[in-house]
Amino acid sequence: MKQTLTIGWLYPELMSTYGDRGNIICLQKRCEWRGIDVQIKTLDLGFKIDDLRLCDILFMGGAQDTQQKIVSHDFSKEKVKVLKEMIEDEVPGLYICGAYQFLGKYYKEADGAIIDGLGILDLYTENPGENSTRLIGNIAVKFQSVILSKAKNLRDPSTTSQDDIAEKTLVGFENHGGRTYLGKDIKPLGTVIKGFGNNGVDKTEGAVYKNSFGSYLHGPILPKNPHFADYLIKLALEKKYKKKIDLPPLDDFLEWNAHKTIAKRLGI
Amino acid sequence: MINFFLITLGKSIIALSRSFNLGHGSTWPGHIALNINKNFIKELIKANRHLKIILIAGTNGKTTTGKLIQTILENANYKVFQNESGANLFNGIASSLLLHSSILSTINYDYAIFEVDENTLPLVLREIAPDYLILLNLFRDQLDRYGEVNTIVSKWRRAIRHLLPKTKLILNSDDPQIAHLGTYTHSRWNRIDTSVFYFGLDDKTLHQDSHQHAVDSTYCPKCNSKLTYINIYYSHLGNWICNKCSYKRPKLDLSKFHIYPLYGTYNHYNVHAAVLLAKIIKIKEKQIEKALRNFKPSFGRQEVIHINGNKVQIFLSKNPTSFNESLRTIKKLGAKNVLFVLNDRIPDGRDVSWIWDVDFEDYIDQLESIIISGERCYDMALRIKYAQKSEIRNPKFEIEPNLRNSVNLSLKKTSGSETLYILPTYSAMLEVRKILTGKKIL
Repeated sequence: MKQTLTIGWLYPELMSTYGDRGNIICLQKRCEWRGIDVQIKTLDLGFKIDDLRLCDILFMGGAQDTQQKIVSHDFSKEKVKVLKEMIEDEVPGLYICGAYQFLGKYYKEADGAIIDGLGILDLYTENPGENSTRLIGNIAVKFQSVILSKAKNLRDPSTTSQDDIAEKTLVGFENHGGRTYLGKDIKPLGTVIKGFGNNGVDKTEGAVYKNSFGSYLHGPILPKNPHFADYLIKLALEKKYKKKIDLPPLDDFLEWNAHKTIAKRLGI
Repeated sequence: MINFFLITLGKSIIALSRSFNLGHGSTWPGHIALNINKNFIKELIKANRHLKIILIAGTNGKTTTGKLIQTILENANYKVFQNESGANLFNGIASSLLLHSSILSTINYDYAIFEVDENTLPLVLREIAPDYLILLNLFRDQLDRYGEVNTIVSKWRRAIRHLLPKTKLILNSDDPQIAHLGTYTHSRWNRIDTSVFYFGLDDKTLHQDSHQHAVDSTYCPKCNSKLTYINIYYSHLGNWICNKCSYKRPKLDLSKFHIYPLYGTYNHYNVHAAVLLAKIIKIKEKQIEKALRNFKPSFGRQEVIHINGNKVQIFLSKNPTSFNESLRTIKKLGAKNVLFVLNDRIPDGRDVSWIWDVDFEDYIDQLESIIISGERCYDMALRIKYAQKSEIRNPKFEIEPNLRNSVNLSLKKTSGSETLYILPTYSAMLEVRKILTGKKIL
């Protein structure tokens, strides 16, 4: 029987900057190339909670402040409750930049005003003030080892051993004013090799809680990090079909070359 | 006295820079002048009260609109100068003033046209009280450099509040955020001396069916509710209305003209902005027509270059909106051969994520040959790969990281009767031109 996945895209109209939709396109294509049917469920303003429950993977991108406020208003208590249940239930999800901050406890704006987050992840974000610099630039991150070992067994056999190094890294472009700090109940997605990461100080980047991943990496993150994209697909399929899944390899020549372009730029 | 020295120095630098083919020296001299005398621009303008100043800002179309206005004004026998395209920060404006001034600070021209960078506009308005301020549009562009559209809008609002009554505002009514700026002019002066004029589009043949992806301002600038579009021309530009607070597109002072020297809906807007200004200045319609018929595009903006019997046309494509519009336009022109060049230098924006906001899926079907080059060619190739139809993996594309080779390869694939369309980012456009013409600009 043909496998199917439903990808839930939270607020594509409001929370989509910096080419975030590339992540959706990437997940969709990498499934289709393997004969997995994909349905994209767009969850925009006023979406139905039942539609959210149908999703096998969730994605949410970044936004401008105004847009984020509109979204915040739309996220009713019931919606938060269901999203929290799904995250606790290990539904895989990727939350980039603004969405990543939004899942945390709060965001302190440059003027000191506090915006409540959804409070699902044990983290908070603060903007150190008008005069602080934004953290902008190419970034490379060493994948957290636990995830790496789990993701490892879907290595593409067509890639040679020199790609081992590439596979241990995530590359992208970060651009954020807020500094994110992780609580004790949550692990980082990886360790910064070059760039700023969560806060420019403690060398952490992103966050992992169960099968939910938060990150500051644009680029967008998935097309240039095909190992991470496939890991999300694998997690979603395994959860849905309740068995171990090995994804057939794809030709990732371009993906790894784009990945290495950044790595080379950063001198790694 | 100090300005006498600065102008002399600046002019020497420009002369040296040109004679050694180091470029046009379009920012350097101004940079030095401003460092030594920070009031350089203000003083020079004060010494030349006869000089009328036109400022143009917006994400896309500044250079072309400036060139259109210059052509119309010159055709009406005015003496006009314009800052070099891309040299649109303070130092570029200072350089341009310096270059066109005598060493005694006399500027023997009727009009100065300055295109101004989005972020720099509020600062420039503190130094210069323009006679005309044209605001074209605001799109997502280089978020790493400019920040978000909303941030720029709020800066512009503050700046416009302080405009002197003499400034005539010429606004794009089809861009909700730009149109709304027209409501900010009276707040300080409390009277309606500052005239506001609106241009836009009313043309059924240019309506677009659906929204493009990279759309930013579809929310009411007054009450933040979602706007309804009666029709869309491109991106978020169109005839809009807010169903909640009834705010709607202001009445158009100019919505049609009969001569469009450049392809594409986006250029209709540029032409309307220029023609509206010309009409405010009271240039006769016949003269406007004649000027537009003789219009030559600015470099890289649909510029045509003939090389070894091949016709090459360059469409600068620097952000999602401009890329979409280039693709839409060349599709209409029946393009078969395309060269995409993606760089990530500072003028291009260091973050190339934006290529995923371009709707390649809608436009590349008919292409027969796609060559991809530039410093981020693999990112572009990846984008095209993911835009191909899954089953047939079409259209095919080739990667050639070396730009010169990629140009040669593309030319080889283009038969004599066909046109090669090159869609480069900003720095890539300059390089491509250099290869094609053997000349350096800027």
